[in-house]
Formats: sequence, C-alpha cells, structure tokens
Amino acid sequence: MMREKATTLYLGPQHPGITGNMMVKLKVEGDTIVKAETHVGYLHRGFEKLMERRNWLQSFTIVCRICVPEPDPNELNYARAVEEIEGREVPERAEWIRTLVMELSRLASYLLWFGGQNGSAGLYTMPQWSVGDRDYILDLFEELTGGRVYHMYIWPGGVRRDLPEGFTGRVLQTMDYLEKQLIKYDQLMFENTIFQKRAKGIGWIDPAKAIEWGVVGPPLRAAGFKSDVRIDDPYLIYDKLDFVVPTQKGSDVWARSLVRREEFQQSINMVRQIIDKMPAGEVYNKIPNPMKWTIPAGDAYVKAESARGEFGYYVVSDGGNKPRRVHVKGPAYVHGVTLLEEVLKGANISDVSFIMNSLGTCPPEIER
Amino acid sequence: MTEDKHIKEQKIVDQLSGTFQNLTGKVKRERRVEVSVEKKLIPSVLSYVKDQLTFTHMSHMSCVDWLEDEHFELVYILWSPELKVQLLVKTLINRENPVIENVDMIWGQLNTYQREIREMYGIQFTGLVGREEFVLEDWDEMPPMRRDFDTAEYIKDVFFERPGRDGAKDVREVIATRSGEEIPELAKKYSRD
Repeated sequence: MMREKATTLYLGPQHPGITGNMMVKLKVEGDTIVKAETHVGYLHRGFEKLMERRNWLQSFTIVCRICVPEPDPNELNYARAVEEIEGREVPERAEWIRTLVMELSRLASYLLWFGGQNGSAGLYTMPQWSVGDRDYILDLFEELTGGRVYHMYIWPGGVRRDLPEGFTGRVLQTMDYLEKQLIKYDQLMFENTIFQKRAKGIGWIDPAKAIEWGVVGPPLRAAGFKSDVRIDDPYLIYDKLDFVVPTQKGSDVWARSLVRREEFQQSINMVRQIIDKMPAGEVYNKIPNPMKWTIPAGDAYVKAESARGEFGYYVVSDGGNKPRRVHVKGPAYVHGVTLLEEVLKGANISDVSFIMNSLGTCPPEIER
Repeated sequence: MTEDKHIKEQKIVDQLSGTFQNLTGKVKRERRVEVSVEKKLIPSVLSYVKDQLTFTHMSHMSCVDWLEDEHFELVYILWSPELKVQLLVKTLINRENPVIENVDMIWGQLNTYQREIREMYGIQFTGLVGREEFVLEDWDEMPPMRRDFDTAEYIKDVFFERPGRDGAKDVREVIATRSGEEIPELAKKYSRD
C-alpha cells in the first residue's frame, strides 16, 4: 500500500489564528508546508456593485465599511478621487484635519496589529493591552465623528465638521499616554527573547523580487526599500511634516515588526506636529444638492499609505450622478494571495498565522 | 514652472507613442500619465514599460463595462519607483467576444486580478491558468459585475421572502396608506433605480 506523503489542512475560515474570514488550504508534509492556496469569498459584500446604483454622496457612506481595521484610507481615497475628477478644491484646514485622522487611524490599526501579531504567537497579554489602548483612539474618533470604527467623516469637499472644543488637548494627552505604553510594549514584546526567536528568519521575502511581486508598505520597507506613498506621491500636507520612513534589511517577521514599531513612534510625532501647526479656516467646500450632483466624465487613480501599505482607488465617472466604477485595491489583495502563497512555501504550520499577521493580511479588502 | 513639472511625464508619452503603433497618450497631471493601445499590443507594452521605462510596480488592474458602447475597458495601473510616475495603460475589448491575452508571466500577481475580472465580467484571458472560482462559489449566472446583470431579478429568483414579509411594500407606500397622506416629492426622488 502506497503511503501518502502530503496531507491537506484547511486553515479557516473558522480558525482563531486566521486574520479574518478567509481560508488557506495547506498541503503539508509533516509540519512543513509544500503548497498554500488562498481561498476567499466569505466576506464579499458587493460594495463596488452597490456603488454603481447609489449617487456620489450615498456611495461615500459605504466605502469605510470595506476595510475593518483601517476604514479611513477608503474615505480619503474616495473623496480625493471625486475631487480630482471634478476639480474641487479642498480648504487647507480640512487637509490638515484629514491628515490628523489618517495618522490616528494608523495608530489604531497598528495597535490592532500589535494584538494580532502577538496573539498568533501565544503572547496573549499584548492583545489585552493594545486593543484596550486602541479604545482611547476610538474614543477620540467617537467624539470627532460620532462613530468609533466607521466614521463617514472625510467626504468630497473636506470633512464633515470642525474639531470639537478641547479636542486637540485630548489628542495630545492620548499621544503622551501611547508613547509611555510603547516602553511597556518594548519590554513585553520587542525585548522578549521568545518573540525574537519566533520572529527572526521567519516569513522571509526575497528583496530582489519584492517590488516585482507587488509588495508594499511595512513588508517592503522591511526588505530595505524606502518606499512610502506619503513621500513618493505626496498628498494632503505630508510635505509640511517632518518624519522619517524607517527601513530594515532582514525582510522577515522581526524586521517588519521593527518597522511598524518605529512608524508608531513617527505617527505620534506627526500628530503633535499637526496639532501645533494646523491653520484656522473653513473645513468644507460644500457640494451641490446631492440628488442632482453630477461629476464630469473622467477617471482618477489615487492612493494613500495605510498602515498596511499602498491603498488605491480607481474611480470612473460617466458624467452622471452615480459612479460608473469604483475599484478598490488594498495591500492585502497581493499580500494575502500571491505573496502569502509564495512565502508560506517551506514554512512551519505553527508559523502560518504569525506570517499572515506580519504581512497585514486583511480579507475584507481582498474581496470587498 | 508648470511646464517644467511635466517634462518627465511628457517624455514617457513621447517614448511610448514613438515605439508603438496607434498608441495615444497624454499627461493627466503631475505624476499621472495615461496611454491607450490596441489589445494585441498589451503584452508588448507592459513588458516594455517594465523592462525599459522602470515601471516595475504593478499597482492595480481594473475593468469598466461600457455597455452602451458595447465594449469593456481594461486598465493596467503601473508605478515607477525611480521616476515616481503612475502610468495607466488602457485598452478596449469587444463585449460580444471578450478575449485578451493573459499577462501574468510579466507580474505574477496579475493572476489574481485576471481571475477576478474573468469571474466578475466574463472576460477570457488566453493562457490564464488558475482556479476558476475566486470569490463566487458554484456561480452559473451572468458575470455579476456586468451592467446588464439584473440584481433585483436575481434576488427575486434566488431568495424567498421571510414569513410575514410576503408582499412587502415600499415603506413610503405603507406610510402613505396608513396616514392618508401623499408621498412627498422629496421622498419620490429616492428611487430604487
């Protein structure tokens, strides 16, 4: 009787280590993965089809729901694409507020990542801390926008309202708190021998192939590339801020963790600069009656640097009051499919979830 | 100064239109260039811009259904890390027989984009190898992202009304009937179409 060498395992869609509702079909020999296949389809909500039958303003309320960990790049990209096609100017103060929202969103997303990355290694104290600390940022969002996770705040023409009184003081207090927490995170996670042993040499991406493979964001920077949409294709007011784009050379889970940790600190610094330098002024260039608002025919591709990497929106108008096409491309479309399938070859089963978290695999943005 | 900003973008347009027949292009703005080309030249253009013009990063690939014009438009969106320019390469495919060559040998991740476009629009990519299903499971209806896919009809065919919701009416009509008032003009504008 022939003995079968390889076994097929299904990681997900119900699995504590999966980063969302997706399934990775693993062919394993012993503990070693010889082939991985990503299967999606559990989270397809048909957003892009929905938007073809909603007017431009109604569509803005949908886009934030496409991505769960970091909704704000969706709002920003949709607004910027519409503004670019229409030629609508945005008030300067609104651009500063948008930048503030983007950096707070980045911090919240990284705090969720701290949780996921450590949870998948069994260091469960970290998710308890970081997800709890994320709540302080969600409190700020609730005060500013009315919503903790889905904000519907950045819309074509600017933002929906100005900052509440005393808001900037509360933001600065939160930044001070998070900066102190980072010291504790260092002690628990980055100086933790077990975490280092788990992370070093795992999930390696070949730097020579990274760009060709479509790697973006922290994984690309961890492979040694100083690549960031905020400096390569500047938008909002990032050219007025002083910040560093960190890189590492290791191109493994450890290097990606170090890049994110440094970016967390950089975001805290940027929030302080934004609050210090923000000008006074209007926050909204009012759109016409939304029921009659048409956008001239044209298209635009805009992108933003989300916590997971380059997040792009391709928007097409046919001159009507509804989008002809809104096509969303998040980093996980590549990181969670072809890149993951490549990186998992030769990996150990116990490292699958660990690697997925380090790549920023986010199923909602893969299938929208 | 405004013209100086677009010199490198214009150079890309000139180089491509000088190399490929019937290729038209324009500079959309700083860091944004768009070219249109016949579908048979897509593999050559993509290889050329990757190998010769430093557009090594494939940002995105999209499809737009221009039902009324009877064609699909494919858009390949590329980025040059050296030049810091985004290039959109567009082509049109006949809607009656939508076929184009597979190009995932140029960028492996195009396999995913093409699988999704095949599933959602029904465009066939010659030589594309990969699992038939990407998002949809056991789907045998019209590709659902096509403009002529009737979502309301599909819902009526596939799903049943919950008990107690039989003959569920438009909520405006129910309110109007119960209150004895006409539906206001403003509410009529919130059409389902």
